Amino acid sequence: MTETRFPDVPDDLAEVVDRHGRAVAALDNETVLADFRKDRIGQLLGSARPPDGLHAAELLSIEPGPDSLYTAHIRYTGAGGAQAVFRSRWIAMDGTWRVTQVRNVPDTPPVTPFAEPSADGLDTPHWAGLAQRELRIQHCPACGEWIWSPRPICPSCHHDELEWPSVDPTGTVYAWTRTWQPFHPSATGHLPYVVVAVELPAAGNRRVVGVLLDGDGADVRIGQHVTAEFDHSADAAAYPLLRWRLS
Amino acid sequence: MSTSDRTFRAAAAVVGAANTPFLKRGTATSSALKLALRAILDAADDAGVDAHDIDGFVSYANDDNEGLAVGAALGVKEIRWSSMVWGGGGGGVAAAVNTAAAAIASGQAETVCVYRGLSEADAGRQSYSKGHIGPLYGAHGVFAPAQICALRTQRLLEVDGVPREALAALVAAAYHHAQNNPDAVAYGRPLSAEVYADSRIISEPLRLYDCSRENDAAGAVIVTSADRARGLRQKPAYVLSGVQGSGPAWTESVENENPYSSAGFHPALVARLWEGAGVEPGEVDVTQVYENFSGPAVASLIDVGLVPPGAEAGRVMQLENLIAPHGALPLNTAGGNIAEGFVHGFGLIVEAVRQIRGTSPNPVPGADVSLLLGGPMAPLVSATLFGSEATV
Repeated sequence: MTETRFPDVPDDLAEVVDRHGRAVAALDNETVLADFRKDRIGQLLGSARPPDGLHAAELLSIEPGPDSLYTAHIRYTGAGGAQAVFRSRWIAMDGTWRVTQVRNVPDTPPVTPFAEPSADGLDTPHWAGLAQRELRIQHCPACGEWIWSPRPICPSCHHDELEWPSVDPTGTVYAWTRTWQPFHPSATGHLPYVVVAVELPAAGNRRVVGVLLDGDGADVRIGQHVTAEFDHSADAAAYPLLRWRLS
Repeated sequence: MSTSDRTFRAAAAVVGAANTPFLKRGTATSSALKLALRAILDAADDAGVDAHDIDGFVSYANDDNEGLAVGAALGVKEIRWSSMVWGGGGGGVAAAVNTAAAAIASGQAETVCVYRGLSEADAGRQSYSKGHIGPLYGAHGVFAPAQICALRTQRLLEVDGVPREALAALVAAAYHHAQNNPDAVAYGRPLSAEVYADSRIISEPLRLYDCSRENDAAGAVIVTSADRARGLRQKPAYVLSGVQGSGPAWTESVENENPYSSAGFHPALVARLWEGAGVEPGEVDVTQVYENFSGPAVASLIDVGLVPPGAEAGRVMQLENLIAPHGALPLNTAGGNIAEGFVHGFGLIVEAVRQIRGTSPNPVPGADVSLLLGGPMAPLVSATLFGSEATV
């Protein structure tokens, strides 16, 4: 019985969560949508990605918190035994329980179809550097200016033969945001995720943008030190991506 | 400084202004061109000019319909001026008005129409940021202006110390004003502080109501020479000064813009805005500030000197200060992009003009100086100071 499995959780919540997981696995959209907070249905639908051929759900845990929410973990199984664990957060609302957040766990960064040199080719050496596990930033050999984003000629002295030295991929968080809205289909399954603008002391304090690894629940602050990792998780043909980790 | 040697000041005025209804995005059955034509005809009618006599066209934000096509559709007698303000998003909104005024001040045209139409039926989603978010963003999960403005707003709050409540007050003022504007999307839908604070997070620190809407609609204004304006049926809204641009290390730099938490109104540009008009910030009666998002709008007000920077911003950014008729800094008096409707800020031009005429849904009594700020935290920013006859 759910009562004994989840002793710190209201009985009716355990029943609702259990039924919700089964409705998701049964592709019973009407029931699933009714469990979502009304003002964030679109965001919730676009947040988590189930395995293809979804057919089974297993409620793993429900526990109190954070704050006045309850947190549930449900494992979904799809075709060929593929699995995904969703962490849903539940809020007491409208006399029942509703999902107010949901995400895939563990937290993985989005892999988007945009990871390639820009159409004008200005940043191609940067991408080529990533393939060699190097962070290359545009630099002017004539006047020493660090240039980012890349330009056709040096904006400082107008020298037109620029170089691409490899720089130490460590820095500090200059700005950050945790994105919850599914702005692109490739974000689904990874939301919410944290994007940081990282200031690079090794490149004249120019700033690069990237995803912060393990940003789920992280207490991110401007000024924190971060170190880069080269993420090869996309398929082998794609460029590796520079990810950041609090250090 | 002396402004008497400047030929631009009050050389031109907005004499006609109109918006089409702000429809939910994706619901217009007309093309953006047809919506724009409707707005232009309404603006011409408002001014009492024959649309066939329009001899110049200006738009911004990469409007899909160039001036020559618009002129042909209207059957104008002659096109003397047709130009597009470069730079995506709302940064060009005031610049478009300034460009029309410049054409008139320099004798290049006599009756210039500024227009902008948006219809997802032909423009698709997110036409506002097309071409401005490249792979160095997209590879890292940054797809939308909301995320870019969220990064910068986070620094505005966390490092500069601008209180979160300053953003909330701006949104509250917009919704407050929309309740008196039957044409506003949020008319009859007041926003409580609780609903605002509990709305879904889009990209921290921005929640749903910190974000502008998206609508299918169009807007148009008619700009003509000061001499001709005085003979027309509306009270002219003179263009006292206008600025556009971006400072060093600012534009299209993938988060290397500096100063980073600025909206982009750099000191030299701001000085030209005030000096060109011969107006001090304290003389502004009413402000329309582009709010793609609440944070950038607050940054704009700080940049131009209407609101102090840092924690002190919270002292001025209080709801009672921001609302007509009696607030010290009434802003977005028709509801703005957040609560009236969104056509790349065009509604803000129309409302800035209505304030000079006294026909705003929330008029500021005796408004003689009306400020329009476009941008913000975008590659381009622009501003226009409108004045009544008394300022000329």
